[in-house]
Amino acid sequence: MKRRLFAMFLMLTVVTMLITACSGTTTGTSTSGTGGDAVGSTGSNTDKKAVKITYFNTSAEVNTMFENMFKRYNEIYPDVTIELIPTGIGEGQQEKLQSLYASGNAPTFMNVDPANVIEYEDHLLEFTEENAPWLSLAADGAVDGGTFGGKVLGAPWSVQGYGLLYNKRVVNEIFGEGNFDPKSINTRDALQAFLEKCEAAGVPGTMLHGANWSLGGHYLTLVYAVQGPKTSDGTGFIDKIKAGTVNIEDNPIFQGYMDTFDLLAKHNYNKADPLVGDFNKDIQAFGEGKCATFFMGDWAWTTMVTLENVDQEYGFIPVPWSNNPDDYGNTEVVMVLPKFQCINKSQSTPEQQQAALDALAWMLSEPEGQQFFIDAGFYMPYKNVRDDVVYNSMTTSISEYAQRGKTINLGCFSYISGDAWTETGNLMLKYLSGAINRDELAQGINNYWKSVK
Amino acid sequence: MNSKSKLLNNIGNFVIFIGPSLIAFSCVLLIPLIYGVYLTFTNYSPIKLTYEFVGFSNFQAVFTDKEFWQQFVKTLGYVFYSTIFCNVIAFLLAYLLTSNIKARGFLRAGFFTPNLIGGIVLGYIWKFIFANVFTKVGDALGYQPLMTSFLTHPDRAIIAMIIVTVWQYAGYLMIIYIAGFVGIPQEVQEASEIDGATGFKKLCSITIPLMVPSFIICFFIVISRGFMTYDLNLALTNGQPYGSTRLAAMHIYQKAFQANEYGIGQAEAIIFFATVAIVAVSQVLLTKKFEVEA
Repeated sequence: MKRRLFAMFLMLTVVTMLITACSGTTTGTSTSGTGGDAVGSTGSNTDKKAVKITYFNTSAEVNTMFENMFKRYNEIYPDVTIELIPTGIGEGQQEKLQSLYASGNAPTFMNVDPANVIEYEDHLLEFTEENAPWLSLAADGAVDGGTFGGKVLGAPWSVQGYGLLYNKRVVNEIFGEGNFDPKSINTRDALQAFLEKCEAAGVPGTMLHGANWSLGGHYLTLVYAVQGPKTSDGTGFIDKIKAGTVNIEDNPIFQGYMDTFDLLAKHNYNKADPLVGDFNKDIQAFGEGKCATFFMGDWAWTTMVTLENVDQEYGFIPVPWSNNPDDYGNTEVVMVLPKFQCINKSQSTPEQQQAALDALAWMLSEPEGQQFFIDAGFYMPYKNVRDDVVYNSMTTSISEYAQRGKTINLGCFSYISGDAWTETGNLMLKYLSGAINRDELAQGINNYWKSVK
Repeated sequence: MNSKSKLLNNIGNFVIFIGPSLIAFSCVLLIPLIYGVYLTFTNYSPIKLTYEFVGFSNFQAVFTDKEFWQQFVKTLGYVFYSTIFCNVIAFLLAYLLTSNIKARGFLRAGFFTPNLIGGIVLGYIWKFIFANVFTKVGDALGYQPLMTSFLTHPDRAIIAMIIVTVWQYAGYLMIIYIAGFVGIPQEVQEASEIDGATGFKKLCSITIPLMVPSFIICFFIVISRGFMTYDLNLALTNGQPYGSTRLAAMHIYQKAFQANEYGIGQAEAIIFFATVAIVAVSQVLLTKKFEVEA
């Protein structure tokens, strides 16, 4: 009998623990839902209510930067506490954000991909001249990137670019010091001559990274972006494919870029086994000068600095798609606003929204906030950024193109979801490996867009 | 009076002992499953503020999703070959390691170890082996098929998946088979030997029939886990090359969370669940027929 009583007691404890654990979490969520819970107020701000806000970050490589930034912000404004919700590289970021929203715990503000801004459109606070006067400091065109359906929903904070990266040491060895002018590569024939010269010197001319995000998200996207300098040129082209009024194979720009792609594939360092797609291995090989160029962007730098015995000097050359140097895209490299800062309005209180607006103003437009981004190597699209900053060679090259106005507007990229680049990227990989020909590739791309609602 | 208090006592006991696990089971399995079925009839998305009923259109979409059925068939093949190879190898290992072989304990532990490593880590280890070690060996030997990575060709990538699965589960199943071998009554074995059954004959007529319970468990484990493979798939191939090795579970995940077609993904998951349940249950019922009493 005693034994049974003891067993019952044990089970009862388990049950109570279960129940209390459950109720514990519910109270937890309800407080964070209502938000703005009063914590002890300090100093001169005795009449001000302390605010706690959360920040969701998808730039996983700089979690610590944001952490330090928020710590400093809390020192200056003790009544505001910003809690970082970090994510890891390749750790289902989209899924995490979705679950936060679905469970009613949406972050107050967040750093996300352009495609997310469109997906979460209904939840986001519009930036206006009244609530975000500092956005007028943003570089020309930068705010346009964060404008969706006539509303500014995303605040830009960094600029990245991509094209054909070239290793300056290797190219100088082939062409002789100072003999190579990146501006001379403005037609496909010029690129071909360049690649053949590299090949003749015993260095593979280029490298294609065999991953769907690179070939689908970046290379194929060129076809849409180069349709015209305006964002609507690219999205309009996609809309026509969706409607079935245009087939991509009839487009000269598509054919041009695919001809260039064939050329690059012919001189590909990874030719023997093109689909390995090992990012670190490719960066290492490029940094060691095993090939002359690499179709990649300036984010490669963050991986490059972690390697030893690699070169430090790189620059960009365009990816020409025709033999007319005046065609849009032949002398330009891509410049893109890869991430935006957004504020949630559907699940946060007006006080929290105001606190997030104030925090963004400090982060993006005040020197102290900007310094955090600069120290982490970001190129910020704001007019009041210090002009004595020395960037890494890749970012410097991109900014030179930007100063000359020689950039491709990749605005339409914002309207392409992650699914698009995996699916069309997989088709590009099939094409690269020779499993399908160009007609089948074009058919596949047409079919993909037609299947998207 | 007495019977009434006994009944109350019984109910009380039931609630106290079964209650906690029942609550946990309902919270994490039953309710989500029912809610999931409900969601297949809506155009729910965690992002959208509202959602409405769409009837059977999600299921219609599943039947027109050609890629899902391709991957479904591929998953069936993957499970079939994994089950065969896992069990054959595990049985042979168990057979060898119950005979009088040297370093038996050490070998058993060695074969079992891969099962202690999680699917993700295992995937990364083998990714390295396939991509770097095999290719180096291929270069050294000048043997063409090994020079390129296993993971860059659609057919070979699936074979790579099966190899790693076999490596992961064979040791685990081996332990179950060893228990089966050891559990065969000594007197039956002796009796068969007196009757003149030796070697292969004894294996077929005595050992295997008496080990049917082990076979049931082992087949069930590989079949059910094989269908649900996600971690190994993610770490080893991540669907590459070009989406050809996306097994059903991964395809569903991709559909629901990356293409944001939550309803369709959920409908695919329900169909998939039904298939796995039917295959697993019929396997158990079928193999049970071969069970014999010693």
